[in-house]
Amino acid sequence: MRDGEIDEVLQRAAQVPHDVDPALLDRVAGSIGPSPGPVRPLPPAWVLAGGLVLICAAVALAGAARLGLYGIQKLSVLERALIFPALGVLFWLAAAAWVGEMVPGSRRRVAPGTLLWAGSLALAAMFAALFHDYRTEQFVSQGVACLTAGLLHAIPAGLASWLFLRRGFAVNALAAGLVAGTLAGLAGVTMLELHCANFEAPHVMLWHTAVIPVSAAAGALLAWATQFAGRLAPFRRRP
Amino acid sequence: MFPKGNFKKTRQERGYGGRREFGDPGSNWVSGFFPMCPDSDLEMLMARYQQGDFAAATALIHRLSPQLHRFFLVQSASRQDADDLLQETWLRIHQVRHTYRAGEPVLPWFYAIARHIRVDHYRKARRTSAREGRLEEMPEAAAVHPAQAGGTGDLEALLAPLPESQREVIQMLKVAGMSLEEVARATSSSVGSVKQKAHRAYERLRERLSGMGLSKERAGGLS
Repeated sequence: MRDGEIDEVLQRAAQVPHDVDPALLDRVAGSIGPSPGPVRPLPPAWVLAGGLVLICAAVALAGAARLGLYGIQKLSVLERALIFPALGVLFWLAAAAWVGEMVPGSRRRVAPGTLLWAGSLALAAMFAALFHDYRTEQFVSQGVACLTAGLLHAIPAGLASWLFLRRGFAVNALAAGLVAGTLAGLAGVTMLELHCANFEAPHVMLWHTAVIPVSAAAGALLAWATQFAGRLAPFRRRP
Repeated sequence: MFPKGNFKKTRQERGYGGRREFGDPGSNWVSGFFPMCPDSDLEMLMARYQQGDFAAATALIHRLSPQLHRFFLVQSASRQDADDLLQETWLRIHQVRHTYRAGEPVLPWFYAIARHIRVDHYRKARRTSAREGRLEEMPEAAAVHPAQAGGTGDLEALLAPLPESQREVIQMLKVAGMSLEEVARATSSSVGSVKQKAHRAYERLRERLSGMGLSKERAGGLS
């Protein structure tokens, strides 16, 4: 059987008239009310994405300035020229992906999960290529300090970004949470690159990069918990 | 191989001016099903709805409800469920109407919200069933043939054996008349993924229809 014949069968099947109860349509129209009220549409996607990038960059810069810009002072020109543009590209991709998740019917250029693992791997690979000090002095203690500092900066970045995008509507809350966490994690990593002067390759590759997946996981978990609480609400209201 | 059905439609190719015959060069048989709903018209109505025009909102409800209702009916078990989902969808559309941006395709926006409502409804129903200790009944309920459960006709019966994800893709492509790109937008997936689902759906439909001896007869309807 050819595809054209299947098309034809589907066509015939779909041609069967399908009516909706007019009373139902009247009820739906009635629920909207006689004056729905004007609304202000969301700005274009590039404006929203640009705003998110600015917010996250500002949080990272402010955090690093408060803690001390030791990292960027110690980085060579080549390292600066590679690390910060790469972070900028990832910022833009994550911001655009989040905006896409918050606007129904948007084109999804990159899946949130793909962005997370590909972004983390790309950063880790770049750090491996740039840093060649393989000592692991105070690996865990310094690493945990950096991870904590990165995550502590991811929180305000995530919150401010969420406030900025709060008028959006996520049709897939989990994906939106994941990509929001990824963006916030990138703010944390940027702060660490500006601040942390420990250039041991294992430290940077593991503990700095780890901020992104940990933050993304926290974002997804928060979204799932919010969604779960929302679904439980009707049960709680029962007498 | 991807089915050769007419999926790659641009908005200009939709031919909303009137019904064309299937097989005409550049034709889109889907336009014959919804000749009243050109995208530009819907976009204009949506813009007026955002400006607070109740008449535009009512026009949108009357134009889009039949295909949204059918979307739910193809996916869910009963007409009652489809009615509830339709109401819930319009309420949500009303709440988030500001998220539609002029110039963007309007159908993916509606279908993305409708799909969200359906998934949410399914999860809530599953939780309710678990709470009431009737979890074991869910697969049976989901497997009820739509035509047996108050559905209206052949399309539901034809698509019933397909998995849910393939059913929704075929419904959007062939009934709502959306392009691959628009279906990808509505389902938050890639065009490649939509093509793959459509291809698999066609394979299943081919098996089923061949089994029913429709390839030679090409009889109308399945009943």
